[in-house]
Amino acid sequence: MTTAARPGLNAGVPPSKNMQESPTPLSVLGPQAEAERQKIRQRFESGTSARETLHALCELADHHVRQIFDEVLRVQSREPVGLCLIALGGYGRRMLFPYSDLDILFLFGSDKTEQEFRPLISDFSRTLWDLGFRVSSAGRTIEECKRIEEDNAEFHLALLDRRFLAGDSTLFERLDEKVLPGSEKQARPFLLAQLHKLTRDRLTRYGNTIFHLEPNVKDSPGGMRDYQATIWLRQLAEEKKGIRNITAAEEEMCSSAVDFLSATRCFLHYNNGRNDNTLTYELQEGAAERALGIGDGVARTPSDWMRQYFRHARTLNRQLLRYLEQKAPVPLTLRQRLMNAARASRIEAGDGKYFQVRDGLLEVVDLSALSDRAITYSLFAECARTGTPLSREAERSIGYVLIHPELPPKNTEMAWEKLREILGSDYPGLALRPMQRLGLLMEVLPEFGLIDSLVVRDFYHRYTVDEHTLRTIEHLQELADAPDERGAHFIQLWKTAERRDLLILALLLHDVGKGMPVENHVTGSLAALDSAAKRLKLSPEERAEIQVLIEHHLDMSATVQRRDIFDPATVAGFAESVTNQERLQRLCLLTYADIHAVNPEALTPWKAEMLWQLFVATSNYFSRTLDRDRLHAHDEVSLLGRIKAFAGGGSSQEIERFLEGFPRRYLSVHSPEEIAAHFGLYRKLSEEPVQTQVAATRHGFALTVLTPDRPALFSTISGVLAGWGMNINKADAFANAAGIILDTFHFTDLHRTLELNPGEIARFRKSLEDVLNGKAALEPLLKGRVSANRGRVPKVTVETHINFDDSSSAHCTLLEIITQDHPGLLYEMGSALARLGCNIEVALIDTEGHKAIDVFYLTAQGKKLTAQKQELLREVLQGALS
Amino acid sequence: MMKLEAVIQPSRFESVKDALREIGVEGMTVTEVRGHGRQKGHTEVYRGREYTVDLLPKIKLEMVLPDNLVNRVVDTILKSAKTGKIGDGKIFLSRVDEAIRIRNEERGENAL
Repeated sequence: MTTAARPGLNAGVPPSKNMQESPTPLSVLGPQAEAERQKIRQRFESGTSARETLHALCELADHHVRQIFDEVLRVQSREPVGLCLIALGGYGRRMLFPYSDLDILFLFGSDKTEQEFRPLISDFSRTLWDLGFRVSSAGRTIEECKRIEEDNAEFHLALLDRRFLAGDSTLFERLDEKVLPGSEKQARPFLLAQLHKLTRDRLTRYGNTIFHLEPNVKDSPGGMRDYQATIWLRQLAEEKKGIRNITAAEEEMCSSAVDFLSATRCFLHYNNGRNDNTLTYELQEGAAERALGIGDGVARTPSDWMRQYFRHARTLNRQLLRYLEQKAPVPLTLRQRLMNAARASRIEAGDGKYFQVRDGLLEVVDLSALSDRAITYSLFAECARTGTPLSREAERSIGYVLIHPELPPKNTEMAWEKLREILGSDYPGLALRPMQRLGLLMEVLPEFGLIDSLVVRDFYHRYTVDEHTLRTIEHLQELADAPDERGAHFIQLWKTAERRDLLILALLLHDVGKGMPVENHVTGSLAALDSAAKRLKLSPEERAEIQVLIEHHLDMSATVQRRDIFDPATVAGFAESVTNQERLQRLCLLTYADIHAVNPEALTPWKAEMLWQLFVATSNYFSRTLDRDRLHAHDEVSLLGRIKAFAGGGSSQEIERFLEGFPRRYLSVHSPEEIAAHFGLYRKLSEEPVQTQVAATRHGFALTVLTPDRPALFSTISGVLAGWGMNINKADAFANAAGIILDTFHFTDLHRTLELNPGEIARFRKSLEDVLNGKAALEPLLKGRVSANRGRVPKVTVETHINFDDSSSAHCTLLEIITQDHPGLLYEMGSALARLGCNIEVALIDTEGHKAIDVFYLTAQGKKLTAQKQELLREVLQGALS
Repeated sequence: MMKLEAVIQPSRFESVKDALREIGVEGMTVTEVRGHGRQKGHTEVYRGREYTVDLLPKIKLEMVLPDNLVNRVVDTILKSAKTGKIGDGKIFLSRVDEAIRIRNEERGENAL
């Protein structure tokens, strides 16, 4: 095997000695070739299509290759027997760009001919270089072509585009008809596997997205290489036997995408004067000015022209991904074949009969159902819920239905409830990404269309605005599955965040203003929220929460970078602007995602750590200052109005009396509708001193108890719940100025008693009310239950930490307990507190897996706990919890 | 020529950068670093986990300056980075023998 060394293109090197003796001297051929090149360029610049330009460049190259080859043979008095020239790769398929290399294979009939012709090759290559052609040559004997070079798959792939150029045509025929069909067939699994790997590596190198602000039109996803890889995949997979054919409409879209990208690449080559395929901001302007690839001569703005670019890039990329999704036919062992067969038969049912999971992808079973948009949306909801991606084939089917008016769609409107289901799931990005590709996201959220493929020139950002936005959401969903060290702190925040739907909708809209003619994009994004909120019929509270997140989406990042986050005053100021824990959690996740999605390096471990430190400090500030900020209902005019509207009875004064003195946090954990329901219970207190309410929630049940304060109330309620076998996951206990206690317990029904027997809810409430009213004893209920639970060995051990804090609250001692969670835990702790005469002023109960994290604001006889009492309490609790 | 390295509070970085720009210094290398001098770290407990920050986040600025600019730059950084609290950072100066601009091989102060 011989590979001719590529000579340097150096103006100082004289033409080869032999060529000086040729009848057409290089001094004539060179200018001729250059003049031809200039003509082709002028024709391109006057509007000739890229296809014709590439063809003309190829003809020019062919002409000179043949001429020089003949001359070299003539000078050396040789006949081309046993030697031929073959064009490979882009040159082989006649797609030669202005500054692309000429990939040429010298094929020899035998080792002997290779030896004889070797001097000729270097002469030939050098002369072509001197004429301005960049030759990239390789030499192989026909025997060598039978063998597959495992470390050089690129060569074998380029050989798929072989085209005879000059020399011994019988030798080429032998290779083309006899040698290669056999060896290619044999090597097909290897080549396909290599092509899959090379392509996936390339896509990964470019972040698996077409949406780069300055894309490379050859190598980026959606570039010309995607097109070429698709052709090779189809060729190697022998399409007619394996993969379903593409439709005529898809072929047409593909063809116009290739024309557009080819024109762009020619333009880049001519403007850069070299094989540089980066579509820079400057060249985007030039391309837009001449409406490159569009053909109507009407100048576009760079943003509009780039949208056309991305539309075409998306066509090529989508086509490629569809073929890539087909199994790479690597040689399989018997075990692998058996395992695959077993997996293929394990088809899980999806939602009803319409779709199913096969090979880890959601597929559509009943294609006719897709004209019902409600079913299509259910499919996306299933993706988001289960984390199962949609197959490319399913996406293609949906796309087909969307563009065919003869299949009129039903139920096109997506209600907020359905959208919420997608946005609030663990994997919203898995649904939103294909929805965006199919145009469905813009149907549901037309405001998103403003940033579709939008290039905003910013040296910090790497992606278009829509791509950045979708990446924010994907970075959050990645927190569900072992992210890198930067995400480690934020996993639990994502898993426990309340109302993730609001966070995701805020993310979808946070940069929409960048697509509007406004000075500050946040103003535009808020205007977009206005229209989206009206259309989706968001509640005023939902809208207000999203508004805050959008309005302040840069605040946390700015605080981290421009303020001293270890200064308590900074933390207090920031906490006051955020106002509550739930919002802090959402804002922190939003900030994490927003920085992460700017470019792969933007979120450094340093920044992630700073963000986390600010979150922790602010979160602690909230839990330690809970009783400081009390509600003065008289000042809450709009809240009073909302509650009155929901309550359907009661005067404003009555509502004010009820709300007065609750910690402000009460407002952040309950919606006005819930507060109105609490007020309804409050009004009934005169009839019955213990008011209870049980409601089913997404993760279990919620119990609300409203009653005048009394000793051991919290522990008694916890005890009843434990006695009924309920596991408390979360709770809060608040008191208003009049000493009315409002406790809310979120619990899971371990034995599904309430779920399977709805009638038991009334019995459960009665049992609770009887115990609280002293009509029944708690002990019989607990008998056996707590001891049974005690015997269980926990899967994860959590060490108990008991901390007292006397400095954070003006009149309470804070008790923070971290311990192993188990049914009845809260009762045990509450009983210990009651026995020692501690009154719970406020309680925040939470769980994180097997860990219980509880904060109590305690008083004893109306004062903070003494040091002795704290020590005694620590001892008692340690004993009870260990 | 002198090389100046300044380790400052992240929260002062924007002010320092703006102040340097005002006196005509725009070229600098900025690194996110962690460390501590006399200012020790601190511990925060969140949901039962203790987070000890013994290496505090700082920003390191590096620049090579012509001799006649050194004092001015030092004064500017001192004024704009100072809060008066422990942890404001430090400035280090060291002599540089040569500077070479890679693009055109200019040398000395012309290369800065």
